[in-house]
Amino acid sequence: MMIILVSVTVLLIVISVAQILKIAELSAVSRGEKVYHISEKENKLQAILMLVFLVFYFSFFAWQYLKWGKYMLPISASEHGVGIDNLMNVTWALIIPVFIITHILLFWFAFKYSFNKNRKAIFFAHSNKLELIWTLLPSLALTVLILYGLNNWNKIMTPVNPEKEHVLIEVVGQQFSWGARYAGADGKLGRANVNFIEGANFMGVDSTDKNANDDIIVKGEFHVPVNVPVQFIFRSNDVIHSAYMPHFRAQMNCVPGIKTHFNFVPIITTAEMKKITKNDKFDYLLLCNKICGAAHYNMQMNIIVDTKEDYQKWLSSQKQFSQNN
Amino acid sequence: MTSVSINNQFDTAEDIKKKTAKPLLWIAIVSIVMLFGGWTSAVIVSKGSSPRWFSFDLPFAFTISTLIIVASSLIFHYGLFSIRKGNSNVLKLASIITLVLGVMFIVSQYYGWKDLYSNGIFATGSKSTSASSFIYLVTVFHVLHLLAGIISVLVVAIKSLKEKYNQENTLGVELSIIYWHFLGGLWIYLFLFLKYVA
Amino acid sequence: MSTHHHHEQDFLFKYIFSTDHKMISKQFLITGFIMGFIGMIMSTLFRLQLGWPGESFWIVDKLLGSWAENGVMAPDKYLALVTMHGTIMVFFLLTAGLSGTFSNLLIPLQIGARDMASGFLNMLSYWFFFVSSVIMLISLGVEGGAASAGWTIYPPLSALPQAIPGSGLGMTLWLISMAIFIISSLLGSLNYVVTILNLRTKGMTMTRMPLTVWAFLFTALIGIVSFPVLLSAAILLIFDRSFGTSFYLSDIFIGGQVLEYSGGSPILFEHLFWFLGHPEVYIVLLPSLGITSEIISTMSRKPIFGYRAMIGSMLAIAFLSTIVWGHHMFVTGMNPFLGAVFTFTTLLIAIPSAVKVFNYLTTLWKGNIKFSPATLFSIGLVSTFISGGLTGLILGDSALDINVHDTYFVVGHFHIVMGLSAVFGMFAGVYHWFPKLFGRMMDNKIGSIHFWITIVCSYGVFFPMHFLGLAGVPRRYYTNSEFPLFENLIDINVVISTFAIVIAFGQLLFLYNFLYSALRGPKAPQNPWDSNSLEWTTPVEHIHGNWPGEIPEVHRWPYDYSKVDESGEFVGGNDFIPQTTPLFQNEKNEKH
Repeated sequence: MMIILVSVTVLLIVISVAQILKIAELSAVSRGEKVYHISEKENKLQAILMLVFLVFYFSFFAWQYLKWGKYMLPISASEHGVGIDNLMNVTWALIIPVFIITHILLFWFAFKYSFNKNRKAIFFAHSNKLELIWTLLPSLALTVLILYGLNNWNKIMTPVNPEKEHVLIEVVGQQFSWGARYAGADGKLGRANVNFIEGANFMGVDSTDKNANDDIIVKGEFHVPVNVPVQFIFRSNDVIHSAYMPHFRAQMNCVPGIKTHFNFVPIITTAEMKKITKNDKFDYLLLCNKICGAAHYNMQMNIIVDTKEDYQKWLSSQKQFSQNN
Repeated sequence: MTSVSINNQFDTAEDIKKKTAKPLLWIAIVSIVMLFGGWTSAVIVSKGSSPRWFSFDLPFAFTISTLIIVASSLIFHYGLFSIRKGNSNVLKLASIITLVLGVMFIVSQYYGWKDLYSNGIFATGSKSTSASSFIYLVTVFHVLHLLAGIISVLVVAIKSLKEKYNQENTLGVELSIIYWHFLGGLWIYLFLFLKYVA
Repeated sequence: MSTHHHHEQDFLFKYIFSTDHKMISKQFLITGFIMGFIGMIMSTLFRLQLGWPGESFWIVDKLLGSWAENGVMAPDKYLALVTMHGTIMVFFLLTAGLSGTFSNLLIPLQIGARDMASGFLNMLSYWFFFVSSVIMLISLGVEGGAASAGWTIYPPLSALPQAIPGSGLGMTLWLISMAIFIISSLLGSLNYVVTILNLRTKGMTMTRMPLTVWAFLFTALIGIVSFPVLLSAAILLIFDRSFGTSFYLSDIFIGGQVLEYSGGSPILFEHLFWFLGHPEVYIVLLPSLGITSEIISTMSRKPIFGYRAMIGSMLAIAFLSTIVWGHHMFVTGMNPFLGAVFTFTTLLIAIPSAVKVFNYLTTLWKGNIKFSPATLFSIGLVSTFISGGLTGLILGDSALDINVHDTYFVVGHFHIVMGLSAVFGMFAGVYHWFPKLFGRMMDNKIGSIHFWITIVCSYGVFFPMHFLGLAGVPRRYYTNSEFPLFENLIDINVVISTFAIVIAFGQLLFLYNFLYSALRGPKAPQNPWDSNSLEWTTPVEHIHGNWPGEIPEVHRWPYDYSKVDESGEFVGGNDFIPQTTPLFQNEKNEKH
């Protein structure tokens, strides 16, 4: 109800302002003035508003940062995420000064060089030197960003060495829930395909495959041990989903018919993160980040990062696939 | 940058048409190329990503189609040569032959599809895969574009029978020929692509 | 009787099936604006849901009816609104509405042509656009609702009505509408390119063309190259949906059964879609950049700085835009090496963009700026282009993209850099060339109030979205406060939604100004902004063929503003020298 009242009021204000201006303009016409002509006074007003806006814009920026900065994601809970955060900070350190300087120049010039009939604009059409400078400067900055970025990217995208200690987890998305499957003691995931989906076997695991026997399938939440690389395989049963784990700076699409991969090393346990964020209810989340249907907004799974011992304890308490059938 | 020599007086619609008809056609051809380019690159992407991709021999009819369309292009072009020399009778004959060859091309394509179908390569349905669907898709859409070409040749044939073309006025024939050659070239590209890449 | 009949035909062909580029331009403008207003209302409605989730609103109830039981929109209908808002804004307002209006109006007038190369194709282009708009609007009212798979319509979601109701008839109509739209766009682009290349008046060399015309040329070229690829993607999707092929579909279990599709790849669609999708950003943006280049130069009474660099950077942007589409797909599991290549090409776009920004700044420097509403919006564009463009460096970097991909950070970024910039350019264009469109002047005071409301509120809407994104909020969520993780963020959403409501009302000022001025505004003089370019040499009243006599000859580039001779006096006595003025005796003939 409030909102309608506000809306109606705003509407009325808009109309009345327009009307008043219109009357002012009509009287100007009757006095024989050129209505489209921008008077010097008006021009000056706009010039001042340029500066006012500049101040407003920067203060708005600062206000938002002070008010909402604390809601941004906490420190990275994964190893590669630290690299991403550093890269992000370097990028910000480059972007924000450029943002501020160019805006100051833009609005300052607009204010300073507003129309004055006693002054002449200069005829300055080109300068190879200047143009060269501002082609080269961004190029240099970008070279740094590109190299730094790609260095990170290559590290992130290198799969876990299968010889080394790691956890293999397959994550499957479907409308509108997630499931996770652990490879079990043999370290191999059994064959799976949508054709085998039946009843409780929502991941479509092929029960005739020996490798599947010790697989462990969980819903609702899954656990990973801290400081051990986790190799993920992603699948989808129906439409495209995206497995987004913001705290781990991890995201990969789940595409029907295709297997995709991602890996990371969790470095902060859930318990530690609860302390860091000073929030007892904190939990890592796996969210769906690709539009997938009506309940897209409510497709999530909790991730628990345990110490190795707790993880083993939890894992051994879970049912194996063969026990379900 | 060089400037095109520019005439100030584009007062008649006829002048504008003379100057712009061919560029319009060429740019339209570019967009058709991109349409088929989209599909043929889609074939490459699908081939690379799908484990169930399979290749198969093209029906012999497609080879015959290729010969037919090359022949029609040559004959049609001979018609243009003749009208430029003022001989309208050859153009009449050439455009009618082109028309007949164009129809024959479609018939030949039809036999090609029939052949594919009887070999169990289906366009749609549960037994089709994207590999089999693509071959129908690009060839059918080529024929759809060819239908427009046939209409343009038909117009040329009728107009030449009515003696509308002469040494000075060959624009209509040229436009039709550009498009017809393009269709021939497009088919040869598709043929080679399907034979050797897909 | 016969005269009456004749008169009727006249009316029909003058206003409805006109082949005159100026009339077609107005048709595009008005249709585009109507679509734009509908798109804006949609966004305001879903902003109500996001700001105050689950609350009942009278206006939502009245406007959405069965889509919103008791005034709360259903989750899938929220997605339908988001999808239609995106589609309408990107294609109908900012592609057809912007490019269609100004390419049509300005190309013949600024290069000195009587009309487009083919008036008939031009008319067809408009009518295809009109039909596609109507179909798109009709799709709002069909069973199951309008298309709801996002404007990017990724299959399988868009291919399967079982997945979301909007992928039924609504999606079919969406595809038909877009196919027609693509044809319209291609017919238009064809015409623009050929007209620019072939119908320039005597003396109008390519390097004497205003930057607007250059921008329209590049826009049309990108359109010709990329729209057919979208068509090819759409045709494959139509086949998958309706004829049982499986180009995009494979291994799908939905609604309790396995579907019989096999062998297709949804990633294929993403490749084809983004091959258009990314150039589309520049199809939307380049005309606006061209328009503001012209306006900033004219209104600051200075030549545009670095004319050739501006053309070069547009060329570079146009070229690069066709080889960067993969940056929308960093997290689709594509080959990491490809990801690296796309990062490289994507970040390269920053260079020509930076050149453009610095050239704008230098053009303003030591100018003598007159603040018409068009100038204000042009300066606004430079600001949004910087603010939004810089965050592109984060999104284009594959490593950083992992964590902000598809979050509100993206929504904030592209709305500022593409949405706001393009809309600001469009407003600037309308204010500046209104006298050319309607022969009357718009009101400057209302115009400037409109600008200040618009810029303040647009930043109010889109700037906070970056914070949402950095907090990890995914886009296209029906509510942003479903999880404990996001509980605190409701404040941000309230701020955004409040600004969104105000900006929507602010546009009523423009609507009023536009309508009133078109009908009752003061009569325009021939050259109200003391501009050099050729369009201001035509009579105020529209005539067929644009110039009553011969088409004037062009002797110089369009940016001879404030040119002084050795004694410091203006060459020719004025601070502007129209393109039709021959070189003065002592004037240096400079290369620009």
